[in-house]
Amino acid sequence: MRRVIKAAAIATAATLGLVACGGGSDSGAGGNTELELMVPSYGDKTKPYWEDLVKAFEAKNPTIKVKLEVQSWDDIYKVLDTKIQGQKAPDILELDSAGPAYGKEGLLFKADEIVSPATLADVVPAFVQSAAIDGTAYGVPTVASTRALFYNKELFAKAGIAAPPKTWDELLDSAKKISALGDGVSGYGMPLGNEEAQGETSIWAYGAGASWGDGSKITVDTPQATEALTFMKKMIDEKATQADPGATNRTPLINVFIQGKIGMITGLPPVVGQIKEKNPALQWAIAPSPTKDGKPATLGVADYFVGFKKDGKKQEAIRKFLDFFYEKDNYVKFNDNEGFIPATKSGGEAAAAKPELKEFIDALPGAKFYPATNPAWSTASGAFKQLVGQIQTKPAPDVLKEIQAKVDAGG
Amino acid sequence: MIDPTAAPPKARRRKVTRESTLQALPWLAPALLLIGGVVVYPAGYMFYTSFRDISRFGTDLGWAGWDNYGKVFALGHLPRVFLNTAVWVVGVVLISVLVSLVLAQFLNKTFPGRTVVRLAVIVPWAASVVMTSTIFVYGLDPFYGVINQFLVDTGVMAQPYGFLKNPVSGFLSSAAVAVFVSVPFTTFVILAGLQTVPGDVLEAAQIDGATKAQTYWRVVFPMLRPALAVAALINVINVFNSLPILRTMTGAIPGYDADTTTTLTFKIIQGDRQIDTASALSVINFLVVLIVIAFYLRIVRPMREV
Repeated sequence: MRRVIKAAAIATAATLGLVACGGGSDSGAGGNTELELMVPSYGDKTKPYWEDLVKAFEAKNPTIKVKLEVQSWDDIYKVLDTKIQGQKAPDILELDSAGPAYGKEGLLFKADEIVSPATLADVVPAFVQSAAIDGTAYGVPTVASTRALFYNKELFAKAGIAAPPKTWDELLDSAKKISALGDGVSGYGMPLGNEEAQGETSIWAYGAGASWGDGSKITVDTPQATEALTFMKKMIDEKATQADPGATNRTPLINVFIQGKIGMITGLPPVVGQIKEKNPALQWAIAPSPTKDGKPATLGVADYFVGFKKDGKKQEAIRKFLDFFYEKDNYVKFNDNEGFIPATKSGGEAAAAKPELKEFIDALPGAKFYPATNPAWSTASGAFKQLVGQIQTKPAPDVLKEIQAKVDAGG
Repeated sequence: MIDPTAAPPKARRRKVTRESTLQALPWLAPALLLIGGVVVYPAGYMFYTSFRDISRFGTDLGWAGWDNYGKVFALGHLPRVFLNTAVWVVGVVLISVLVSLVLAQFLNKTFPGRTVVRLAVIVPWAASVVMTSTIFVYGLDPFYGVINQFLVDTGVMAQPYGFLKNPVSGFLSSAAVAVFVSVPFTTFVILAGLQTVPGDVLEAAQIDGATKAQTYWRVVFPMLRPALAVAALINVINVFNSLPILRTMTGAIPGYDADTTTTLTFKIIQGDRQIDTASALSVINFLVVLIVIAFYLRIVRPMREV
């Protein structure tokens, strides 16, 4: 008896060992495929959503097992770099445009290889192209967001402002009027602390027609950007913003807006849900981001699914899973959960029915994206976070030069 | 004249020592392995990395010589950061020790509820530093901070001030929190020192007619020397390497006016993604701590017997 157990133990160990040698992936005994899925966490609802989706998918496709890994935005880049260096990239990855950027190194399937033609045709073309590298799309967009101006209607009425500002000059004027109300109220909330300074700066710079370069070179120090930063400084100097914008982070400042102490602030679609939850009594509305001359422009951000090629054997399974994800019900639920704008036409129709998302969807054609397919953008983004707030005390052109120097040194 | 019997016992003794060292090895091994794994290896790897050219994604691109050190010394804000570091270490340690000397003296007296007060002193030590700092971040917030509100309501300030939004006030507020979290440990080390002062010595001082001040400065204080040495040394190292307080409280301030070498290292990794340059700065940081401690041991001679 003991010998039998021993033999069984050895056999089990050997089998396990063999499976481990096979990379723990592809063909087990019954032709099963294991997919590793790595996604970032947007909030509390992210993980339960994926767990449910994986369960539903596995019920439909018994031969495919999906191993889910949810990472925080803070960690996901580090975890991913380590995995890729160790030849253990996930099969499916959701990430911002840093995901499609791996296509440059030949690690990825092309977008049309990981979803069916029908799914791809449903995605808004501008989004597919937004992270294309040299014309080739590697990522399929999952969520999208644009920015818009949230304003406090009550404070607008008190300050006697009829309509939300369209141009910078109107913005400055309205903000000054609201700041003049006193009682701790600020006109415009400008978060330039290290949380997301690159976002606020980009909205202003894009509003002056600037761009941060392209896939091959990042250029920060341009005349348009200088103009934008100079105007931001003017807003600060004329006390149209809250005190110390240089060191104010976005999330706490949006909370102050929700408390009704700020006249205007730039926000994302999820802020709508936050206001409803935290202060439903707030009288607010959304308008397009003001620009230099009123021409629509704002910052757009999208996240993408990419498929890692590795030995190329799992393409079929990846496609099955992603097609399942983009089925209308699953996909709309995903965007509802996170409060973002869907990137598919069918999803967009569902979202357009919600009035609070309308401004964000309308802003899509004028939205400009970060040049995040360029690896140097991460350095530029880091430099913005650390340095751009200095416009509060230093001349704007000097600050831009300092950021450009960082980008150039980061190489 | 040579005594033929003199050498063998010595040799024997050496042999015995060697044997007992070997015998002790199995018991020392776990500790040695641990030290090797979590201290020697990472430190060695840091030295190694500081001479390599590492890409943004962590790929090793080869030998870099002194380039990384060159980059560190080329940073325009380095003098300010070093000055900040000096102010930070000297200021926080000095104030912590002074406050703790007073506090320990107080806690050494018997009074009703002493145990409760002693426990209360431990609290900032037991709490997570990030948590403590975060509480102060909220308290000092100009929009909804209770500390700001209090200062405005009591008329100390006309309007709320962004303490953590300006380099100098942010740096000083962080230093205050650093003192707050350093005091418990320092107090208890000094308190332990105070309890080693024998009662008969104090009695003798009293009989000799020493005043209270004389008793303290001539009798008690010299006997606290070893305790103070431990408290100061450990505090210097801790405070020098302290990241969470400054990171939490002044991390949002743009530029480098409120940075110490430790937070600058963090910014180089996180913001600039230059692991190699950050390693070089860490090595410099390490050498500075070593030099400071060497000077401290040499000049103050804290371990000298009374």
